[in-house]
Amino acid sequence: MKRTILLLVSAAFACISLSAQEGGYVTGSFETTDHFYFDDEKTGAMSPEDRFGSNNYLKLDYYNGKFTAGIQMEGYLPATVGYPSELSGINLSNIYATWKDDDFSVTAGTFYDQFGSGLLFRSWEDRALGLNNAVMGARFTYNYKDVVAFKALWGLPRFGMGVFTNNTKNPLTVTNTETQVRGADLSFALSNLLGWNSTYLALEGSVLSKYQPISIDLIDEGGKPNTFGYSARANFESEGFFAKAEWVGAGDKYYSNPDISSGEWYLKKKGNAQLLELGYNGRGLGVTLTGRRLEWMDSKIISGNSSTSNMMNYIPAMCTQYTYMLTTHHPYNAQTGNIIGSFINPGEVGGQIDAFYNFRRGTKLGGKRGMRVHANFSTYYTIAEEGTAKPGNLLFRDFSLDVERQWTKQFKMLFLYSLQQYNESYGANPDYMTQNIFVADLLYKWTSTFSTRLELQYLQTKQDKKDWMAALLEVNFAPHWSIFASDMFNHGSTKVHYYNAGVSYAKSRTRVALGYGRYKAGYICSGGVCRNIPAYTGANLTVTTSF
Amino acid sequence: MRTFLLTLALFVSALAAAQVPSVTVENAKGEAFDTEALLEDGTPMIISFWSTSCKPCIRELDAVYDALPDWLEEADFRVVAVSTDDSRLLAKAKSFAEGRGWGEDFVLLFDKNQDFMRAMNVSVVPHVFVVDAKGKIVYSHTSYVPGNEIELFEAIKKSSK
Repeated sequence: MKRTILLLVSAAFACISLSAQEGGYVTGSFETTDHFYFDDEKTGAMSPEDRFGSNNYLKLDYYNGKFTAGIQMEGYLPATVGYPSELSGINLSNIYATWKDDDFSVTAGTFYDQFGSGLLFRSWEDRALGLNNAVMGARFTYNYKDVVAFKALWGLPRFGMGVFTNNTKNPLTVTNTETQVRGADLSFALSNLLGWNSTYLALEGSVLSKYQPISIDLIDEGGKPNTFGYSARANFESEGFFAKAEWVGAGDKYYSNPDISSGEWYLKKKGNAQLLELGYNGRGLGVTLTGRRLEWMDSKIISGNSSTSNMMNYIPAMCTQYTYMLTTHHPYNAQTGNIIGSFINPGEVGGQIDAFYNFRRGTKLGGKRGMRVHANFSTYYTIAEEGTAKPGNLLFRDFSLDVERQWTKQFKMLFLYSLQQYNESYGANPDYMTQNIFVADLLYKWTSTFSTRLELQYLQTKQDKKDWMAALLEVNFAPHWSIFASDMFNHGSTKVHYYNAGVSYAKSRTRVALGYGRYKAGYICSGGVCRNIPAYTGANLTVTTSF
Repeated sequence: MRTFLLTLALFVSALAAAQVPSVTVENAKGEAFDTEALLEDGTPMIISFWSTSCKPCIRELDAVYDALPDWLEEADFRVVAVSTDDSRLLAKAKSFAEGRGWGEDFVLLFDKNQDFMRAMNVSVVPHVFVVDAKGKIVYSHTSYVPGNEIELFEAIKKSSK
């Protein structure tokens, strides 16, 4: 079977290569992440049976004028610990061909797309999460000048290893899922039609029909396999001021009824969401105010599976996504509605304000080299009463302030403070955990190519595992080498050190990184979506290259 | 496997200089922007892929921003900063870029579903390209440590000759 796949891919490569010599060109990328695991009594990390995990991606694209075609192969040999379990083996996961003319385009095969902000529909790839819900089908787009943009699509969203299975004798059997999506999106730039120069105003709308097989019990209770959703949007920008509004009706959703004494096995809910963004960007100031309400907004590709990759829309946490070690212990995951025993929470309501300001060079506060300040406040609550925006229990709150200043030509400093409050019960009770986090990030350039960066971090809390401290030292030899060592220590309770060290080499489009360390159980977040991972200890190798 | 390796070798031998593909992204106003339009100006450019949660990306663009007045005395080029932030961080990325002063000197583009990123085969950010006046990619580099901008400047100087 593998031989058949190799022959097919070889044939595709040969065709592409021959035609590339006639004027087109080929680009591609390869990425491998390999882990070797060890048991670790201190953290309770258990290595998997064969102690090895390897995620691999090979992507090739061919361009010739208005024509583009490409493939992606993925290999999980097996997948790294904590990765979605439906990803295993080697497979041709993506294959597509596109014709893009001046005012229209046609795509057949796998594609990624989204309507509006993605609340109604989004297909995308995020390798950090193991998420790839590319749609296998067809898409058509049409633009009339810069006034109208229209697209229509149909297809089967990917769940698992993709279009071509390696589980049957026929490698070309479509096995994505039985779920289908059909949708259309229209954007109408009114300001461009009317010739407004300094103001942009667009009215947009989408519709999405989804077919998803349902159980006989649900059919008996009046459930329908087809659902219909819509999104209405307005985008406005003028002289730096902007406003964006989106209203989504996501159609009927069915949930298992925790109280079957009523005689009904399922609860029927109406998915809906509202998003509003207001702000101003100009004169070194950037301010964004976001408000969002979600009610029963999860959208699964297949029902009854809780994998991170099992989603057809994009419901990210609308708050700061941190990268410093101690700031990421309890990241927020947006609540799309959940039923936990007798606790029913339809979703979340909340918002955030983000402000950035650049104190220019030569001003009193900016000094000789300027100073950058950023503040964020985010707060989210459960919905106390269905169909309303009445806030219930606090889910998450964060206030952060960071100041960045270049003191001398050599020395740059960033200081971050974050106050995070997190409800571990997803809002079932009003209790929450409070933590204060302090980070200093100090960069010193000793010469034009030799620099060091030191991170010092402290987390203070009276709850959970009490206080933590962390430090990271990075030594950089430009243009190729970088070495780092870090330790995250829970001195408040467990006394466990989470050490880590690594080296990386980068040249042109290739980067190789080798590391060894201890990782705590928790979440990996990317793009506001988080994946739970178990504790692990081990060595890791990552190679990324493109050509 | 031998067939596969042979065709792979044929494929590699067929690699020609890549160009900037036509992909629809957003400009700072939120309007649709075809990346092919970047080539209309006929000057070389640096295309830098970044995101608000990528610290090395921000360090690289800050380094370019700080050095830009001096660099422009020696070479004629533009800097295109492409945010790969999802729609969740789209508004934030715009405010962020403004708060760092990049909006004054860089062409800001927003690739909210990573279509341009995929088309340029960027796996991880930061990733920077130098594109010559004819639209050919003549230099590319992934990751950033302080000092990498020296190599970048050499590449843009060479392409603007």
